[in-house]
This record gives sequence, C-alpha cells and structure tokens, in this order.
Amino acid sequence: MSFDFDAGKHAIYLWPAFAVSAVAFAWLIGDSLAMARRWRREAERLQAELESSKP
Amino acid sequence: MDARHTFDFLTNPERFMAFSRWAAPLLGVLSAIAAAVGLVLTFMVPEDYQQGDTVRMMFIHIPAASLSMFIYLCLGVASLLSLVFRHVLADLAAQACAPIGAIYTVLALITGSLWGRPMWGTFWVWDARLTSVLVLLLFYLGYMALRGALEDEQKAARSAAILALVGVINLPIVKFSVDWWNTLHQGSSTFLADKGDHLPAIYAWPAALMALAYLGGFGALWLVRIRALVWRRKARSLAMKLAESAR
Repeated sequence: MSFDFDAGKHAIYLWPAFAVSAVAFAWLIGDSLAMARRWRREAERLQAELESSKP
Repeated sequence: MDARHTFDFLTNPERFMAFSRWAAPLLGVLSAIAAAVGLVLTFMVPEDYQQGDTVRMMFIHIPAASLSMFIYLCLGVASLLSLVFRHVLADLAAQACAPIGAIYTVLALITGSLWGRPMWGTFWVWDARLTSVLVLLLFYLGYMALRGALEDEQKAARSAAILALVGVINLPIVKFSVDWWNTLHQGSSTFLADKGDHLPAIYAWPAALMALAYLGGFGALWLVRIRALVWRRKARSLAMKLAESAR
C-alpha cells in the first residue's frame, strides 16, 4: 500500500474537512494551555504578593 | 488501601493536581501517536467502491460524532455529582468539558456536511440524526452561555448543571434516531454494528486509531482545562485574602 493524496473530484470536500479539524484542534490545544498557564501564573503571583504582605 | 479513598486522586484538588500533572501530557502524547499512525493509514487505505475518497472523512467524522455524545455524558455525570454532593472538582470538570464537547460537535456537523454533499447531494437535511446533533450543540452552547450570564458563580453552576441534566435526554435520541425514524443518515456501521453492516476490516484500523486519538485528546484537554479552572479558583481566593489583608 502507498499514500493516496489524490482525492480527485472529492478534494474540495475532503481537504476542508481535514483542515477544519486541524484548525479546531490547534485552537483547543493552544487555548487550553494558555488558559492553564495564565491562571497558574496569576495564582503564583498573588501567593507571592500575599506572603510578602505578611508582617 | 481503603476502598473509600480509591478515587481520592479525582476528588481531592491537591491529589488531582498531582495526578493530572503527569496524566495530561501522557494522554496527549499517546493521542498524538495514535493520530499520527491513524492519519498515515487514513491516506493508505484504498478508496471505497461507493464513497470513493470521501471514505477517508469517516475517520475524522465518526470519532468526532461519537465523542460529542460521550463528552456530553461526562458533562451530565459531572453536573449530577456537582448538584448532589456539591463537589467543587465535579463542577469544574463539567465546566471544563463543555467547550471541548461543543468543538467536537461542530466538527461532527461540519465533516458530516462536507461528506453529505457528494454522497447525498446536500450539505444539510432536517432528518432526525442531524437535527438531534444540532440540538446537542445548542445544549452545549446554552450551558456555556448560562454559566457566563449569571454573576453569582454558585447560582450559575447550579442552573447550568440542571440544564446539562435536561440535555442528557437528548443523548438516546441522537443515538437511536436512525433506528426510530426513517433518516437519510445511515444506521451504525462501525465495528460495533450488526454483522453485515459493520466496517470492512481494512478500514477498522484507521477508524479505531483515530477514535483513540480523539478520546485521548479529549482526556488530555479536559485535564488541562480542569487544572486551569483549579488555578483560577485559587487565584480568586488569594485575591480576596489580599483585599481583606489590605483593609
């Protein structure tokens, strides 16, 4: 068996389906990681601020 | 070990964070490997005698569609646990899986439409399967909108959890719509289908690998998003403590 990337007349349906899926997963991964990083940093910053404000 | 503590790693926030710290990347890597091998096989299998090259779209459409229902079931179970036991992690788990489920449902609808045009001659038809999946998407969007609309977080969580539980009624409708009504959408044809209707062996491997990739991807993303919400909750609690100490 070898690769078959020639979808012929169905290419206009096939490639957009794969492209939309790839974009959706890229967005989901990027958004999830960015969200986790943002809130972890915010929590760490506030924790440090709270500790430094203690007498 | 005491059986009561078997699931502590999922219910205790500290232990959950320790567990998800290694479980999320592990699931992500396994999912990426399954997706890579699955995609190679997707473009190596011969075209179908009826569907032609569009059969390759089945390997991304079926897992998206199946997972869209499975994720909603997770949303329902987490919402139920959140309502009954008022468990914080269960609520965060419900909140975290809604956007993932919505994206999987959108993917199922788009890839299905793109497959339907050359096969059925139309992008969309208001048959029971397609319509019930659209309703599933509306439940996801409604859940997220309700959570975002109410300022009181507890009230938002409870209202959204009730809406999520109402939406669970739609799951058997989606699943059995092709049996209960005469639909353009074909009945189940995966390896779990009745003998004679199931997937030919040559297509089973890419289908199974892509299903595992989508499942692992959901697991990894879910854990990462729950972690983000745990951090957010902690940040808000710290912000309140800071405000109190500043008085």
